[in-house]
Amino acid sequence: MEDDRKHEKKRKRFAARLNTLKGIVCYEDPRPNVILCNVGQATGFDKQKLMKLLTEYKVNTPLPKFVAEKGESYSYLMFDKAENASLFYEACNGKAQVDENGTTLYVTFVENVPDTDIICKHPNPKGLHIIPDFLTEDEEKLFLNTFNIQHVETTLKNRQVKHYGYEFRYGSNDVDLSCPLQEKIPKICKLLWRRLQHYGYDLGVPVQLTVNKYLPGQGIPSHVDKHSPFGETILALSLGSNVVMDWKHHTGKYVPVMVEARSMMIMQDEARYDWQHGIQPRMWDPVLDVRLIDNEKVKVITSDTVQREMRISLTFRWTRCGPCKCEYKMLCDSIERNIPETISNDVASNIEDIHVHQVYEQIAGHFSTTRHKPWPKVVDFMQHVPAGSIVLDLGCGNGKNILNRTDILQVAGERSSGLLEECKGLTARISGADCIRLDLLNTGLKDECADFIICVAVVHHFSTQARRLHSLQTIHRLLRTNGQALITVWAKDQTKSSYLSRTRAPLLDRHKLTVGGIHLPVHENRTQFQHKDLLVPWNLRSKAPPLQQPDTTFLRYYHVFDEGELDQLCRDARLAIVRSFYEEGNWCVVCMKV
Amino acid sequence: MKLITHNMLTSKCLKGVVTGYPLAINATDIKVKEVDFNPEFISRVIPKLDWEVLWVAADSIGHSDGLPRSLENKYDENEEFLKKAHKVLLEVEVEEGHLTCPESGRQFPISKGIPNMLLNEAEVQ
Repeated sequence: MEDDRKHEKKRKRFAARLNTLKGIVCYEDPRPNVILCNVGQATGFDKQKLMKLLTEYKVNTPLPKFVAEKGESYSYLMFDKAENASLFYEACNGKAQVDENGTTLYVTFVENVPDTDIICKHPNPKGLHIIPDFLTEDEEKLFLNTFNIQHVETTLKNRQVKHYGYEFRYGSNDVDLSCPLQEKIPKICKLLWRRLQHYGYDLGVPVQLTVNKYLPGQGIPSHVDKHSPFGETILALSLGSNVVMDWKHHTGKYVPVMVEARSMMIMQDEARYDWQHGIQPRMWDPVLDVRLIDNEKVKVITSDTVQREMRISLTFRWTRCGPCKCEYKMLCDSIERNIPETISNDVASNIEDIHVHQVYEQIAGHFSTTRHKPWPKVVDFMQHVPAGSIVLDLGCGNGKNILNRTDILQVAGERSSGLLEECKGLTARISGADCIRLDLLNTGLKDECADFIICVAVVHHFSTQARRLHSLQTIHRLLRTNGQALITVWAKDQTKSSYLSRTRAPLLDRHKLTVGGIHLPVHENRTQFQHKDLLVPWNLRSKAPPLQQPDTTFLRYYHVFDEGELDQLCRDARLAIVRSFYEEGNWCVVCMKV
Repeated sequence: MKLITHNMLTSKCLKGVVTGYPLAINATDIKVKEVDFNPEFISRVIPKLDWEVLWVAADSIGHSDGLPRSLENKYDENEEFLKKAHKVLLEVEVEEGHLTCPESGRQFPISKGIPNMLLNEAEVQ
C-alpha cells in the first residue's frame, strides 16, 4: 500500500514534468495511447526491450506501435483501443522493471503521439542496383564461415577489415599495384561472377576484395570510393544482417536504402561516382516503408526500428591506372587542383551555387529568425541619406536593414527566393520599399540609378578575386556620381569580436571537402579562422521529427578578408574610400563614386 | 513590383542586348495597396526617373488615368498631381505576370510581387 502511494506520487511527478518541460498533456482516464514516462531512446530503451517487457508482464494485446523520439527519455505506445492500453497500464505501471538496476516503469495516458515518419522525396541513386536473395541461406553460411574475421587483421576505429588481392591503403584510399597480396580472392567467390552473368551483368572477375565486419553499433563514414584507382563498377555482397545505408548527393539529396542480408549491390554510374554512401554507427535501423502518396510510390522512414545483427560485407573492386575519365566532376580526384584564386569561372559559379545559393534557400526560414534588428552601422550610414534618395540594399537577406522611412526609395535585392519572400513580408507596409530577385554579377538595374547602396555580408560569398571585383564594379556602375556605398565583409581576424568562444580551440583541418576538385577546409564554428577560403557550417534547427533526421548541417562558402583587402578591392573598382573600419569581426568600407 | 522599381529595371546584361530598356509589362494580377503619402519624397524622386517610361508602363496596365504624359512646370507645387504620381509610383503593384526584354524577347517572371531578374551564366555578355 505504502509502495503504491509512493509510485503514484512518482508517476504524477513525471507527468507534471513532461507537461512543463515538453508541453505533453497527460490524462488519467484510459485512451489508446500511453506515454512511457521514464524510458526512451536516450535511456537505451528500444523495441526489443519493449517486446521482452510485454511477454514478461503477460500483456496479451495486439502489438502496439512504439514511437521513440531521438534523444528523449520518454517514449510512446499506440494501442488499437483504450481497453488494451488500460490492460498494459494495469500490468506495467509502477510494477515493471525496465533495466538491470530495477528501475520501475511509469505510464500515463496521452491523446496525441508525434508523427515521426519522414517522407523521402528522392528516388534511389541512378546506377545503384540491389539484387535481393542473391545467395541462398546455405551459401550465406559458407561465405560467413570463410569470411568471418576472427583475429583482427587491421583495426579501424569502427570495424574490422581484411583485404585480398591488393591491400586497400586507408591514407590514400587506393591500392599499390606493385605490391599484390599473397592471398587472392578466395575461390568460393567464383559462383558470384557466374550468377551476376545470369542476372545480365557481364562484368568479368574483380581483383581486389575488402571484407568489413560490423558489430551492432558500428558503421562507416560517408564516402565515395576514390575514382581514379578503381573501375567503373563496385560490388558489395551483404551477409548476416540487414542494414540501412545512407546515400548523399552533393546537391543535398539524401536517400536511405535498405541493404538486405544475402543481397548483391552493384554500384555504377552516378551511384559509383557522384554519390557518397555510409552507414550510421548505431544498434538499430529505421524501418523503411513504401507508401502510395498522390499515386506515386514514396519511401517513408518510419519511427519503427529493427535491431542490427553482426554484418559482414564483401566489397569487390577492379583496379585501374591513370586519371579517372568519369563525367562526374564533383567528387572526382582527377580534376586539376588549383587554389581558388585561379579557378575557372564555371567552377567558382558551381561552388557558389552549391555552397551559397542552395544553402541559403534551405536555411532561409531559420536564418531569418536569427536576424532581427538593422545593423547599427547601417543605421549610422542611413542617417545621412536625405529625403528623395534612391537606396539599393544589395543582398538584403530578410530585409532587416530596410528602415521604416517614407521619404526614400529602398529597393531590396536578393538572390535567395526564400529570404526575399521573408523580406517582402517584412517590408510590405513600408511605402518606399520594394523587392527584386537579382545577383550582384549580372544585375538587371540601370546604370547610375542609385544615390546610396548598402551591401552587407555579401561580397565574401564570391569565390574568386575576379568575381569579388566584378561585384564591386557592379556597385560602381549602379551608383550616381558622388553616390556612396557601405560595404561589409567577414574578417579573417576574429580576435576583437564576440564571435570567438572562450572554451573552444580550433581543430586544425578537422576535415576538408572537395568541391569541383577544390579542397575546401571546413571551419570549426566560434574559433579563429585558419584559412582564407573555407566552408562554414550552419546547423539547421528544424521542427521536423528528430529520429533519423537527414543531415541538417549546411556548409556555406566564405572568403574571409585580411586587413586592407576590401579597401584595395574598392580602389580596383574605382571607388574612393571615405572611411574604413573594423566592427565586430567585419571589415567595413564607406566608399564613393567620383 | 511597384512601377517606380520597373523604371530602373533593364535586361542590358543579356548577351547581344544593347539597351534592354524599358521592359514591357504583362500583368495577370495587379493590386493597389494604400501606403503613406510623402509629397516631399515624390517631388524629389521624380527628376531621377524616366517619366515617359513610367507613363507608358502605367498606361500599359491601365493605370494612367489623369496622369500627364509629360511633366508640367512646377509639378512639385501641384498636390493633386503628386497624389496621382504617388499612387502610380508606390501603390499600384504588379503581383503576377512577366517583364519582356524589348530586344531579345527574354521574359522575366513576376511572382508574389517579386520580379525575378536572375540570368544563367550562359545568357550574359
